[in-house]
Amino acid sequence: MRTSSKLLYASLFTILLSVAGAYSARAADKYVVGVSNTLIGNGWREEMICSIKAQALASGVVSKVIVANRNAGPAEQISDLRNLISAGVNVIVLNPSDREALNPVIKQAAARGIVVVAVDQAVSAPEAYVLSNDQVDYGKAGAEWLFKHLNGKGNVVEMRGIDGVPADADRHKGFTEALANYPNIKVVAMPFTGWALNKSAQQAKDLLASGKQIDGIWTSGLDAVVVDAIQTSGKPLMPVIGADNNGFVGQLITLKDKGFAGAAVTNPPSVGGAGLAVALDVLQKKGDHPKVIKITPEVWDNTSDVGLATLKRNYDPKLDPYYSMDYTVAPYTTYTKDQLLACKGP
Amino acid sequence: MVRNDPSEKGATGFLPSGGARVASMRWAGRYLPVIGMPLLLAVALLFTTWIHPSFGAFDIQSLALGALPLAFAAAAQTCVVISGGIDLSVGSLIAVANVLAASTMQHADFRQALLLAAGILIAGAISGAINGAIVVLSRIPDVVVTLTTGFIWGGVALLIMEKPGGGAPQQFLDLAAGTTLAPWLPNAVILLIAAVAVVWIPLKLGRAGLLVYAVGSDRVAAFRSGVGVETTRILAYTLSGLFSAMGGLALTMTTAIGAPLAGVYYTLSGLAALVIGGVSLTGGRGGISGPVLAAFVLTLIPTDLIFLNIDPNYGQVIQGTLIVLVVMLGGFVTVLRNRK
Repeated sequence: MRTSSKLLYASLFTILLSVAGAYSARAADKYVVGVSNTLIGNGWREEMICSIKAQALASGVVSKVIVANRNAGPAEQISDLRNLISAGVNVIVLNPSDREALNPVIKQAAARGIVVVAVDQAVSAPEAYVLSNDQVDYGKAGAEWLFKHLNGKGNVVEMRGIDGVPADADRHKGFTEALANYPNIKVVAMPFTGWALNKSAQQAKDLLASGKQIDGIWTSGLDAVVVDAIQTSGKPLMPVIGADNNGFVGQLITLKDKGFAGAAVTNPPSVGGAGLAVALDVLQKKGDHPKVIKITPEVWDNTSDVGLATLKRNYDPKLDPYYSMDYTVAPYTTYTKDQLLACKGP
Repeated sequence: MVRNDPSEKGATGFLPSGGARVASMRWAGRYLPVIGMPLLLAVALLFTTWIHPSFGAFDIQSLALGALPLAFAAAAQTCVVISGGIDLSVGSLIAVANVLAASTMQHADFRQALLLAAGILIAGAISGAINGAIVVLSRIPDVVVTLTTGFIWGGVALLIMEKPGGGAPQQFLDLAAGTTLAPWLPNAVILLIAAVAVVWIPLKLGRAGLLVYAVGSDRVAAFRSGVGVETTRILAYTLSGLFSAMGGLALTMTTAIGAPLAGVYYTLSGLAALVIGGVSLTGGRGGISGPVLAAFVLTLIPTDLIFLNIDPNYGQVIQGTLIVLVVMLGGFVTVLRNRK
């Protein structure tokens, strides 16, 4: 009994020591960057964090990147942000879990001279810079391409993201705006995929087996699984809208001969790196930036020559199917593709 | 109490007896569950100040704000688990209370907000009672019932508020977010102690508390002793609903908004805090202070990871390790306590 309790204390102590050992001193002359993210195990978010690390390395003025990263809601993100402030960061790049809830803590950070940049999704705090893909436009551009391709007539499916999340609401707004101009397009189903691959695949299978006439599918970025489901169902390949995911980009190229038409709408995770670049410019007083920077998504279709050439230029068979291929945000990011793939901060 | 329990005598017969060593171990067995959690929190706080010497009022405030909703979630779960059940709808009820508060209080003044808060607390208690009544009357396992009602409440939260929004008057938010008495004593801590004490102390002192523990220890024995098992279980779920509603209000105070998805996360975290806080998942054993303090320890883990700049994915590993260690230690303590 005695030995086991000793062992317990010894192992506890070892854990504490090894944790403390990882604590390293900070260089005084360079900037410390804090990152706050509240969705883990998600490829897009991981690439976003990698782009921040890559940009930190490429900039040459960052000594350390501290990442606060866990599955959580606004209450936890508030405490993460407060902890980053305590840790003495100069910049906070965050993907906000909420538009309003973080405002008080952003104000506190700004009062301490910390430059705060919200990327991917907006916050309403006037102190913060916001750099994001225009999600309303994302929904609209893809939907318009699809409706036009269907000659303004037919049944479509809108495969949405997570109910209650701003990006999903914005994309739906864009989709609905596009729909208003096409009275003969009918939305026959509007499932929430939860941005989960397995769920999305199952929903696509169920829809295809339901016997409903479906002429086109708009997805909120979970694209390749839907194309796979259509192929498995044995139905003719109907047009699909997806994002700039490597696997889908590959499908658009290789399945074109089988009559597959579709378009990838860009949603670059490198908004993270771009956000850091803006923050470092502000810290070093290099040039002016507007508080709100919107990136306009591009549409890479496989039916036009320009679109097909762009798809082929960006496709990389060595990378994962859900790696986002639009990996830079001009003119902000300065890292190379290799630096991004290495995902190593300074 | 344990010494008078005839059922436990046989199990301890093989253990060596006599001597000061055994007496001291028995002392540890009896008091470790009481001092264990404050000790763990003290160690965690000392460790945090060691790695981050400038830990001060701002950081204490961060800790209190982060831990408040989780502490209520843990308290809610504790009531049901001590009575021998489980409540998987805690997170969703927190979400409903959160969006309900934020949507109704947006244009209210402080007095109206307090009235609305009282209404939400009552509604929370009623929802909990409904959970309990379904479990007792339908005889469907509590895991299934509360998982299902959890889904229903999750949907209701989204129906009340499709996406994050709403608000509450600043005075109401300051009940948790302010520091009225001293910079290093956040209102959140006072609010938590007051709210838990108001529910728990009368329960513990009165007959109802004894019944909850009795039903959790051995439902059949309690029934044969004339305890109203069904009403006691409904009472436990009612208290769970009440604490969940407090959690929702706390979430509103700490975030100043309603978010339909924010609460859901607290079901599992609340269970983690409960286990670390020394409440036995088999029922009948444990108190409320353990899980509440454990909420603070769990909140400190990501804080320390940020201060140490360690890959945050280790947070889950550390949390899991902590749970296993505490459960092992709990079993060890039980063995010690049964020594004669």
